[in-house]
Amino acid sequence: MADTASLGSASGEYVAPKRFNPWPVVIFICLFTLAILFLAPTFGVLLSSVKTTRDIALGDLWAIPSSMYWGNYIEVLSNPAVHGYMLNTFLVAAPATAFSIGLGTLAGYVFSKLPFKGSDLVFLLVVSGMFFPPQVILIPLFRLFNLMGLIDTLWPMIIVHTALGIPICTLLMRNFFATVPNPLREAAILEGANEWQVLTKIALPISLPAIAVLATLQFTWIWNDFLWPLIFTQSDEKRTIMLGLVFMKGQYSVAWGIQGAMSLIASLPTLIVFLFFQRYFIKGMTMGAVKG
Amino acid sequence: MNQSNTFWRVALLALPLSVFALIIIWPLLSSFYYGFTNWNGFSDTYDFVGFENFGKLFSDRLFMSAAINTIIWMAIAVVLPTVLGLSLALLIDSHVPGGPIFKTIFYLPICLSAVVVGQVWVWIYQPDWGLLNSIIEYVTNDRFNYAWLAKPDSALYSVIVAWSWQATGLSMVIYLAGLTAIPGDLLEVCELEGATTWQRIRHVILPLLTPATVVVVALSVINSLKGFDILYIMTGGGPFNSSDTLAMHMYNESFKKYLMGYGSAISVVLFLVALTIIRLYFKQLKKVDEIYG
Repeated sequence: MADTASLGSASGEYVAPKRFNPWPVVIFICLFTLAILFLAPTFGVLLSSVKTTRDIALGDLWAIPSSMYWGNYIEVLSNPAVHGYMLNTFLVAAPATAFSIGLGTLAGYVFSKLPFKGSDLVFLLVVSGMFFPPQVILIPLFRLFNLMGLIDTLWPMIIVHTALGIPICTLLMRNFFATVPNPLREAAILEGANEWQVLTKIALPISLPAIAVLATLQFTWIWNDFLWPLIFTQSDEKRTIMLGLVFMKGQYSVAWGIQGAMSLIASLPTLIVFLFFQRYFIKGMTMGAVKG
Repeated sequence: MNQSNTFWRVALLALPLSVFALIIIWPLLSSFYYGFTNWNGFSDTYDFVGFENFGKLFSDRLFMSAAINTIIWMAIAVVLPTVLGLSLALLIDSHVPGGPIFKTIFYLPICLSAVVVGQVWVWIYQPDWGLLNSIIEYVTNDRFNYAWLAKPDSALYSVIVAWSWQATGLSMVIYLAGLTAIPGDLLEVCELEGATTWQRIRHVILPLLTPATVVVVALSVINSLKGFDILYIMTGGGPFNSSDTLAMHMYNESFKKYLMGYGSAISVVLFLVALTIIRLYFKQLKKVDEIYG
């Protein structure tokens, strides 16, 4: 019975209502409709960026454009403030990503290969840091960096993102190091290597996929962050791109096309990272979540 | 040998743990301390005011409405991204053509920043040319310009829907990961025994997805507590504080009114709520681990 039904649909002939299995078609249509709904917001940014503000105000935002208007991109890309925002964000995201992975690697190695009495508890404490809303550490950190005279520099953001990245980096590195066979480490130690050499020469080279996962996750999160730059910066010169986006929105209050082009340019680095490293990205998200 | 192990433990853990302690643990504890002061964010001196800040919470009408809004947000966060994520995962897992492309489409929003997501959704809710009202006008063939984000009745819910749009992708991939762990033989047996698709989902797949559900629900609740950026962009907690959440209220009191002592008291409440949820989560994870291995 099942065979004839699948035969009927495979040959593409509509034999009889009973034999035709409609489910794959129904599911495809369902998914297709949902996909269009899901894409609409992202597509909206894309559309707005190639339309004039006048067209958008007339209600044409959601229609496919008959001609492309590049003025918005020219306006945004020729604005020197945008260059500054992008550079600042990169100067925060790149070091903070590297530092947090470095620190997470050190901690993850100990928790995986050199456990001690109570190390599970310390590990749990570190990992739980991932789940707290940032508001619970906002005020003391603001006071700390204020006293140090670091407000309105990039340093507080680099330091805080490094620290906030330690939980997820420690978690993922520990889980990955757990897959590095113990005899490998023991043999190296017997041959006279120390832990540092085992970590850098044996464990790390095997763990490059985990590092790729963390690099994509951390870079995206730090790039997209809004709260910490909002707290720690005051002058326009120190703003990151997401903060700049919000402040420029005031400047171009009804220039929706320009806002759209700006959003797209601001999202480009993370979009590229996502599209090229999607596999790592998804792996990191699920690993970080499931093994929590 | 043993001694050198101790040396390496200390040497390797010193830096990560001291950074973590200085930037996360110490501020966490000092939030409690500042909660008992009237520090204003600028002055070098401040006074201890005892439990005044914590007492004020109960008489603060805005705090109460922010707390209720946070609970509403959590409740919707438990349902919306979970049900949508599960449905999408089940649909995609049915070997539909184009599965990987669909997966990418539903997952894509997660790499966008809350600022960008917030802005796009402001356009969707825009009263005159927004997508939502345009669709309603098209369907009803009548003029419709309800300002979703400017009305106290709908502002909070509109933001939560936008937030869920982004959160659904994560739920979906966690469910997809859970689905791949279900042995195919089991599902074949179900089919041979004549179970309908619905029976198979209800009695075999859903129970086996319990670990994934625990993770999805917990993450949704925890992330809903963190929901600040998107709210800041879309409504700023308005109109008339009708969409304030605890995180937003804490920000307003501390960095707009410079009542840092009072803001710290709110952050202590946030911390205690988060701690409760995280403890529940870890407990559930352990239970799930024991049952499902």
